[in-house]
Amino acid sequence: MVVEVKNLVKRYKELIALDHFNMEVEEGEILGLLGPNGCGKTTAINCILSLLNYDKGEIRVFGEKMTPNSYDIKREIGLVPQEVSVFENLTVIENIDYFCGLYIDYKNKRKQYVEEAIEFVGLKDYTKFYPKKLSGGLKRRLNIACGIAHKPRLIFLDEPTVAVDVQSRNFILNGIEKLNDEGSTIIYTTHYLEEAERLCKRIIIMDKGRGLVSGTNEELKSMISTSEKIVVGFTEIEDETVQNMKNILHVMDIEKAGEDYIIKFENGFNNLVNLMNFIEENQLVYTKLQSQLPTLNDVFLELTGKELRD
Amino acid sequence: MKNLIRNIIYQGKNLLRDAGFSFWVMLYPLILAMFFNIAFSGMMDIELTNIDVGIVDENPIEQVLEEIEFINIHKITDEEVIEKLDNEEIHGFIDEDLNLTVKKSRINQTIIKEIIEQIKQMEKLNRPIENYDFEANYIVDRNQKANSIIVAFFSLIAMFSTYSINAGISTVSLTQANLSNIGVRVNSTPLKKKNFLLAGVIVALFLNLLANGVLLLFVKYVLKIDLLKNIKYSIILIIIGNLFGVSLGMFIGVSNKKSMNTKILIGVASTLFLSFLSGMMGPWMKDVIDEHIPILARINPISIISNNLYRINILESTKTVGEGIMILFSYCGVLILLSYMFLRRKSYDSL
Repeated sequence: MVVEVKNLVKRYKELIALDHFNMEVEEGEILGLLGPNGCGKTTAINCILSLLNYDKGEIRVFGEKMTPNSYDIKREIGLVPQEVSVFENLTVIENIDYFCGLYIDYKNKRKQYVEEAIEFVGLKDYTKFYPKKLSGGLKRRLNIACGIAHKPRLIFLDEPTVAVDVQSRNFILNGIEKLNDEGSTIIYTTHYLEEAERLCKRIIIMDKGRGLVSGTNEELKSMISTSEKIVVGFTEIEDETVQNMKNILHVMDIEKAGEDYIIKFENGFNNLVNLMNFIEENQLVYTKLQSQLPTLNDVFLELTGKELRD
Repeated sequence: MKNLIRNIIYQGKNLLRDAGFSFWVMLYPLILAMFFNIAFSGMMDIELTNIDVGIVDENPIEQVLEEIEFINIHKITDEEVIEKLDNEEIHGFIDEDLNLTVKKSRINQTIIKEIIEQIKQMEKLNRPIENYDFEANYIVDRNQKANSIIVAFFSLIAMFSTYSINAGISTVSLTQANLSNIGVRVNSTPLKKKNFLLAGVIVALFLNLLANGVLLLFVKYVLKIDLLKNIKYSIILIIIGNLFGVSLGMFIGVSNKKSMNTKILIGVASTLFLSFLSGMMGPWMKDVIDEHIPILARINPISIISNNLYRINILESTKTVGEGIMILFSYCGVLILLSYMFLRRKSYDSL
C-alpha cells in the first residue's frame, strides 16, 4: 500500500474538515478524490503531506508513519498544488531546475530530468520565459513540471486543470496518463468529473469531510438508484400527460431541461420499450429520443445533493 | 553545502529581479539621498564655529580652549552659570575639575563633552595637552563640518541599513506553508526549512549591503559628501543594522498572516518613523528627542546607528559604539528568538 489513511479527523475550531476519513492507495493506481468545494480534498492531501496538523487518525506513506521530518519519504513524493506555486522572478527552466534540485543532487542527472520535464509538459519554446509572461495553461503546465521533474513514485495533483483551455487540459490529462504508465502512483483531485472518469481507476467521493463512497467507475454507477436516463423532446405535450408519464414502470423522476424532458429510471436498462408504448398510446410526436447510462455526474449529484456550495 | 549555495543563487536571482525590491532597496535610497541633498543643502547649517563655553577665571584648561578656533570662552562666576545657560549665552560650563554643566543636550554640548574627555585622557596619559590638535580633530573645515545635512545623511544610511527588513519578510513568507503557495511546495520537499531560511538571510544581507555600498559611493562621488572617516566601525554598524533589519523583517513576516504588501508597509513605516525620530527629516527632531526623551535616542535602533556613525566619523569618538552594538545585538537576539517560536512549526493548524 502506498498511502494508508485511517480515521483521520481534522478540525478548524468548530468546523470538522475531515470526519474519520479513510483512504487506501495502491501502488500504480490513479485514485480520484472528488467532492464539492470545501469537502476536505485539499485538507486530506495537506494532512498526508504533514503540512497540516490533525486531531486524530493515522497516516502511513510507503508503509511508514508520515511526519514533517520524514525527509526520505518526501524525496519520493511530488506535489502539484492547487495554486500555481512557482517563483515569479525565475524563468521556466530555473523554476524547474530549482525544485528538481531539492530532490536530485547530481547535476547531470538533474539536467536530464529537467529537460525531460520540459519536454513532458511541452514548454520547450518557453524555457527563458518568466511565469508572468505565460498564459494560464502554460503556467499550470509549469506548476506540474515543478512537481514531477524528479520522477516521484507518488504524485499529488490537486486540481491541476483549473482555468485552462480544452487543448491544455487534454495535454495535461495525456501527461498524467503517461506518468501513471511510467509507474507513478497518483492521487488526483478535481471538480471535472469527466476527467476523473477518464483517468481514475478508483474514485472516492467526499462530502463534509467524509468519504461517502469508494470504488471503480462502474461500481459507483451501480450504487445509485438511477440506472438509465432517457432524454425525449416532443412537438407538443400537455402538463397532465407529463404527470402521467411518471406512471410508466420504473420511472423515478422527470426533469425539464429546456425543450426536452429527462426521464430517470431506477431499474434495469430496457425502459425504452415502455416509454415508446406510452408515446404511442398518447399519440405523441417526438423530435428527440436518446437513452443514456448514468454518468459520474449523476453519481456525484445523487450522493452529494444539488444544493449550492460556497 | 551544495544545496545551500543553490538556494542562495536562486533566491538571490528571484529577489534581485523583483522590480519592487530593486526599486525600494537599490534605487529609492539614491533618489532620497539626492532629494535630501537638494532640500537640506545650505539651508540649515549649524554654527559649529561658535561654541560658547563658560569657565571661571583661572580655569587650568583656559589656555587649551583658547587654542581651539571654534570655541568662544566666556569668563563667568559660579553664580552666573545657571543664568547664562538659561539665556543660552553659553552652551556649557566647565568647572575647575573639568565637570560639564549644560542645560540642553545638543550637538554643541556633545562636542564640548568630547573635548573635556579628550583633555582628561591626555592628562591621564601624561601627555602635554598643547600637542593635541583639536582643530584637526573637531571639524573646523567648513566643507566637512557637521551640519544638518550630515545628521540627516547618517540617519538615511542608518535607515537603509535596516531595509533588509523587506528581504527578511519575503524570506520567511516563502519558508512557511501557511504564508505562501511556494511555502506549501517547499515544505512538501525534503529540503530542511532552516537551510532555505539561512539561504534567504544570507541573500537578504548580501543584497542590502550591496545597496548600502552603492548608496555610500553615490553620496561620496556623486553628491561629493564625504561621510565615512572611520570605515571599520562604520561598516560594523551598517552590517549590524542589516542584521537588525532582517531580524525585524523575519518577525514581522512570520508573526501574522497579513498580506505581503501590508507587512512591507508595516516594515517601511516603522523604519521611517524611527528614522524620523533620529533626525532624518531635520536635526530639530533629534534635538527634541535628546532634550525631552533622551532614553528614546538610546533605544531607537536607527538613532543608535546614526548617532554612532556621527560620533565615529565626525567627532572621532568610538566610546558609545560598543554599547550601541550590544543593544542592537540584543534586539536581533530577541527578534530571532520570537521569530523562531513561529518558524519552528513544521506543520500548521491551517494553511
